Amino acid sequence: MRMPPQPLTLDGLTHGYGAGLAVDNVTLEVRGGELVALLGPSGCGKTTLLRIIGGFVTQISGSVIIGDRRVDSYPPNQREVGVVFQNYALFPHMTVAENIAYGLAARGVSKALQRERVAEMLATVQMTAFAERKPRQLSGGQQQRVALARALAVRPRILLLDEPFAALDKNLRLDLQIEIKRLQRQFGLTAILVTHDQDEAMSIADKIAVMNKGRIEQLGSPIDIYDDPSTLFVNSFIGSSNLLAGTIERLEAGTFGVRLDNGAFWPVASNRSFARGDAVFASVRPEQLTLATAEAPGRFPVNHALSLPIGGMLLHDVRETNGAKLKVAEPRVPGTSLSMGGAAWCGLAANARPSLFPRP
Amino acid sequence: MFQRTTPSDISYAVVLRLLAGLGVLILVGPVLIVLITSFTTSAALKFPPPDLSVRWYVELFDRTRSAHIHTAAGNTLWVASVATGLGTLMAVMAALSIARVNRPAARALEASFLSPLILPTLAYGLASLMLFALLGFRPSLYHLVLGHLVVISPFVFRTTLASLTQLDPSLLESSASLGASRFYTFRRITLPIIAPGVAAGAFLAFIASIDNVPVSLFLSNARTSMLPIRMWGMMESTLDVRVAAISGVLIAVILILMIVMDRLVGLTRRMGV
Repeated sequence: MRMPPQPLTLDGLTHGYGAGLAVDNVTLEVRGGELVALLGPSGCGKTTLLRIIGGFVTQISGSVIIGDRRVDSYPPNQREVGVVFQNYALFPHMTVAENIAYGLAARGVSKALQRERVAEMLATVQMTAFAERKPRQLSGGQQQRVALARALAVRPRILLLDEPFAALDKNLRLDLQIEIKRLQRQFGLTAILVTHDQDEAMSIADKIAVMNKGRIEQLGSPIDIYDDPSTLFVNSFIGSSNLLAGTIERLEAGTFGVRLDNGAFWPVASNRSFARGDAVFASVRPEQLTLATAEAPGRFPVNHALSLPIGGMLLHDVRETNGAKLKVAEPRVPGTSLSMGGAAWCGLAANARPSLFPRP
Repeated sequence: MFQRTTPSDISYAVVLRLLAGLGVLILVGPVLIVLITSFTTSAALKFPPPDLSVRWYVELFDRTRSAHIHTAAGNTLWVASVATGLGTLMAVMAALSIARVNRPAARALEASFLSPLILPTLAYGLASLMLFALLGFRPSLYHLVLGHLVVISPFVFRTTLASLTQLDPSLLESSASLGASRFYTFRRITLPIIAPGVAAGAFLAFIASIDNVPVSLFLSNARTSMLPIRMWGMMESTLDVRVAAISGVLIAVILILMIVMDRLVGLTRRMGV
């Protein structure tokens, strides 16, 4: 019997000592079966938040609700929360099979049932051949699979993943990300992933909560977060972007006419409100800019310094006339060689959607 | 890779080997001399022996002629075993309660639990004798156990604390998140992981009790004689060669114990901590 996916609610969680709060009034609703990534720089409070959910840290105010239970007074061993730690935390003196059976044994499950479940979990993570090995005889990726199997063997209500891929090399990381996503779907688990790696969050999370200074700055799907960052912090943390200073010159329905400091005029759609004369930043992703040889409305003059071929893209490093650096990414036309250097005109690519932020 | 050997390389190697040789000579030499002397045929503790025999070992293991030595050895073993058992229990509990506690009180307790390692044991021996006399106790093996307990439990405390400090806290959190109670975690995670450290400490404590002189000197009497004190007495009165034979037995037993412990828990690795 499998439990239906359990929703998770964080209600006004606060934690911290002294002046700075590690977690500052965080409220988050995670639907059953969803994988939410807590993404942010180190020290943003994401790990503390995870530890509060796991019961290892007690918040000074607010609540954690798993399913229909308020678990604030529950110690970690009664929360039914599976945790995969960054260093895997496998028990070094036990075999792989004993590690996986541990949670079941702690709950007093019969030996026969333990054996059955261990075999099932070993098969699920494709580690059957390694059942009798000790953790130190396994590679990082294999240890990770065992840690996952051990956490899932007890059928937790929630799965917490604390930077689970940080110690793995890049190729293996992708394999395991797919693996974790698959298992999380298969088990219908609500999961929280803590990471500082935006690519990781983008690739496996259903939703991303971008955290900064103990608060959630934005919660949304990876695409929303990338295309429509709600704050300057989220904008600069996710992907790379160019910030162009400008002033609101014209107001139309839902569209702002922005006069950039470099002289170009861009009409930009935004659901934020600005008044005429407001100082703003227009943020554009490198792939939303394009280089041209001729002047046209919306284009501004740049000096083309350097082009780097990055896979199928060309990344141009260009300078505005005042010296400010911009990054422009364009699809590379196969077979063409690089044309380097010289003056050019930079403008918005077709379908580009710059974001506007108030400029302090 | 090709390397030229310069005169300074040679002199460095020579000096290093001489020093190492000297060290080994100073450490091992006396042991060898005692061992060889114990196999003498002569009735005098003299090196080199005129001829070799097991005469003094036969004498040593003779029930009637060496009865007082057997009593002393029995007392010593009993005191060492009981003191090590109790000391290990106490030291492990003390280490468990203050490891991972960052408060200054915990550090102060740690220092005070370790202090018998630094304080002059002779002064402690005298002090404990005065204390027991003041309380009106008559010397007994129990007092010896108490006296030894103070001196030897820091060995266990130190190795246990070191093992606990190295224990990855995420193992304990992991165990808890898998549904294990604190006691279950202790039994299946903490204890097995610190066990080698505890065993190494207990071994050191046992040895320390076996050849403890300063405390035994004050707390033992004719009725509760201890082996090292008895040996000293024999040396003073008769220059008995059985003293060398006892040393031979002690060296052999401890060597065997050490090899066993090293195989079981990696003793030499843990003695450094």
